Amino acid sequence: MYNLSRRNFVKLTGGLAAVGLTSPLLTGSARAAEGKKRVVIIGGGYGGAIASRYIRMADPNIVVTLIEKEKIYYSCPLSNPVIIKTRDLKVQRWTYENLVKNGVNVQYDEVVEIDPVKKSVTTAKGASFSYDKLVVSPGVDFKWEAIEGYSEKASEKIPHGWKAGTQTLLLQEQLSAMTDGDPYIIVAPPMPFRCPPGPYERAGLVAWYLKQHKPRSKVIILDAKDKFAKQGLFINGWKELGYNVEWVPGNEGGKVTRVDVEGMKVFTEMQEYKSSAINIIPAQKAGKIAHMAGLVDKTGWCPVNQKTYESTIHKDIYVIGDACIATAEIPKSGYAANSQGKIAAAAIVAAFKGQGEPDPSYVNTCYSLLSPDYGISVAAIWTFKDGQVTKVSGGVSPEKASAAFRKQEASYAESWYQSIMAEMFS
Amino acid sequence: MAGPTPSMLSNTCAGCHGPNGVAPGPSIPTIAGMPYNFLKLMMTEFLKDERPSTIMSRVAKGYSDADIDVIAKHFSELKWGVQGGASVKGKSIDPAKAEKGKPLAKECEKCHEEGGKKQDEDTPRIAGQWLEYLLIKMDDYKTNEKYPQPKKMKSQMDKLSVEDLEAVAHYFASQK
Ligand SMILES: Cc1cc2nc3c(=O)[nH]c(=O)nc-3n(C[C@H](O)[C@H](O)[C@H](O)COP(=O)(O)OP(=O)(O)OC[C@H]3O[C@@H](n4cnc5c(N)ncnc54)[C@H](O)[C@@H]3O)c2cc1C
Repeated sequence: MYNLSRRNFVKLTGGLAAVGLTSPLLTGSARAAEGKKRVVIIGGGYGGAIASRYIRMADPNIVVTLIEKEKIYYSCPLSNPVIIKTRDLKVQRWTYENLVKNGVNVQYDEVVEIDPVKKSVTTAKGASFSYDKLVVSPGVDFKWEAIEGYSEKASEKIPHGWKAGTQTLLLQEQLSAMTDGDPYIIVAPPMPFRCPPGPYERAGLVAWYLKQHKPRSKVIILDAKDKFAKQGLFINGWKELGYNVEWVPGNEGGKVTRVDVEGMKVFTEMQEYKSSAINIIPAQKAGKIAHMAGLVDKTGWCPVNQKTYESTIHKDIYVIGDACIATAEIPKSGYAANSQGKIAAAAIVAAFKGQGEPDPSYVNTCYSLLSPDYGISVAAIWTFKDGQVTKVSGGVSPEKASAAFRKQEASYAESWYQSIMAEMFS
Repeated sequence: MAGPTPSMLSNTCAGCHGPNGVAPGPSIPTIAGMPYNFLKLMMTEFLKDERPSTIMSRVAKGYSDADIDVIAKHFSELKWGVQGGASVKGKSIDPAKAEKGKPLAKECEKCHEEGGKKQDEDTPRIAGQWLEYLLIKMDDYKTNEKYPQPKKMKSQMDKLSVEDLEAVAHYFASQK
C-alpha cells in the first residue's frame, strides 16, 4: 500500500551484519531472517494487530513477530450488547490465523521482560527475541488498589467487564440473576481510561434490559468524575427512551472508595449501596509490561513522540493504543489504536529506509448504543501541525434527530465493527 | 509533497469502510473502485453540509480540498470487491423481492446501466453494494427533501412506492 521502493530498502539492509534470533522456537526461520530488519510487537489487539499487518504490507522483507498471550482475542467494542443478550459472544471472538497467512510470525506467549539496551524481549516460556524496533500495545491494567476491598479475585463476583470474554459473560449471568427491584450499580472510573463513553453505553443498554425484564429496577452510576463523554446525548437519550438511570457525579458523592465483596455493598464517602448486581470498572494505567519495562512516567501511562509514537524514554520502542499518552484529547479507543498502529508502522518503515518522520493523520470514530436500534457517535480528525497534534474537525451526533437517524447510526456501529475487525483479522 | 502520503490519509478510512475500501457490511458502503469524480463530489458535499449525513459531514471537515482529491483518487484506483464478514448480522437479500425489483429497476438502469455495475464520471456502481446501505439511501432519497439528487432520480423516487424502492434495493444488491 505504501509506495516504497523495495530496491532502496534492500540496498540499505543488505550490508548489515546478520544478528541471529536467539529464540529456540525460531531457529528454522532464523537463517532466512539474516540481514533482515526485525520488528517485535507485544499485544495483538486493536493497536498491535494493525501495526503488524501494515508493516508487512509496506515491506514483506521485514520480519514481524507478534507476541500475544491469548490465542483468542475477544473484542471489547460491542461487548456491552452481549451483557443484555442481544449479541452472542461468538461475534466478538477472533483468531490470528490470517495474520500468520500474511506472514506475521505469531507467538502465543507473554512478554515478561524488555531489555531496551540489548534490544530484546523475554517471554514467560523462556524464549527471547531480538528486535531492531519494538512496538508495545498491551492495553490497560487496573489499579486494583484504588477501591479498598477490590481485587482480581473479587472481580469474579463483582465483574469489571473491561476486558471482554469471561468477564462479559459474568456480567451477563449476574444481570439475568439479579433481583427485580435491586438497583444495577455501575462504578465508573476516573479519567483517563479505556473507552470514555463505555460505562454509559453499558448503563443505557442495561436500562433497556431492565425495562423489559426487571421493571422495578433502575441503573445507578456511581462516578468518580463530574462529567463524561457524549454526556448530553446519553442523558437526553435515556430520557427519550424512558429509562430509569440515576447518575451520581463525583462532586455529589459518587466516588466509590470501598467495596464489601461478600456483602455485595459499595461505599461512597456519604452512603452505602447494596445490590445483587454490581459492576466495578476500576481506575486504569498502562498494561503491566509497560511498567515493568520502565516505559511509563508518573501518570502511569507511556509518554511518546506524538508524530511517531516512539517512546520518549526508550529509543526504538513505540507505544501505541490505550497504553500511550496521546495528546489533543485523542481518546483511548479501538479506532485511535488502529490509527496509531498505522502511524507507528509508517514511522518504523521510514526509519529503516533512513527517511525522515512521515507526516501522520489521526482519526477516531466511536459509536455507542443506547438500545439495539439507537446509536450515537463521536468523530474527530487530527493532523500534526507546528510540532503538535491539532484537532481539525469532529463532534458528536446532533442533539435532536429522528428515530431513523439513530437507527442508522446503530447499524453503522455494526458495520464499523465488521470493517475494523476485518482489517485486523481477516 | 509536504503532508501525509495518500496512503496515510486514506488508510484511516478503512476502519469504517473496510480494508482497501471494501466494506464487509452490513451498511457502510464499499468505496473501492468508485468513480473519482463521484467520491470527490460526495466528500465536498459532506464538507459543505450540502448532503445530509450521520457522521460524514463531521469527518469530511477534517480534510482540505487537496486532501479530498488525494483520497478520492486513492479509492478510485482500488478494486471493487465483495467481502462478506462471516459474522455480519445484516439483512439478507430476499430473492422474491429482488425478482419484483428487476422490472421496476428498468428506469434506474437508464443511468445505472448493466444491472447497476456501470459507472462513469458521476454514476456510482450500485450492483452488489450492501443491501442495508441501499435501503438507507432509498429512504434518504425518498423522504428527505434536502437530499441532493439529479432531477431524473428525484422523479423516479416520486414515482415508486416505498415497497417498490425496497424491491429495487434488493435487486441491485443481488447483482454481483
Ligand atoms: C466495554 C468496552 C467497549 C468499547 N467500545 C469501543 C468502541 O465502540 N469503539 C472503540 O473504538 N473502542 C472501544 N473500546 C476501547 C477498545 O477496546 C480499546 O481502546 C482497544 O482495545 C485498545 O487497543 P490496544 O491495542 O491498546 O489494547 P487491546 O486491544 O486490549 O490489546 C492488548 C493485547 O495485548 C495482550 N498483552 C498484554 N500484555 C501482554 C504481554 N506482556 N505479552 C503478550 N501479550 C500481551 C493482551 O492479551 C491483548 O490481546 C471499548 C472498550 C470497552 C471495555
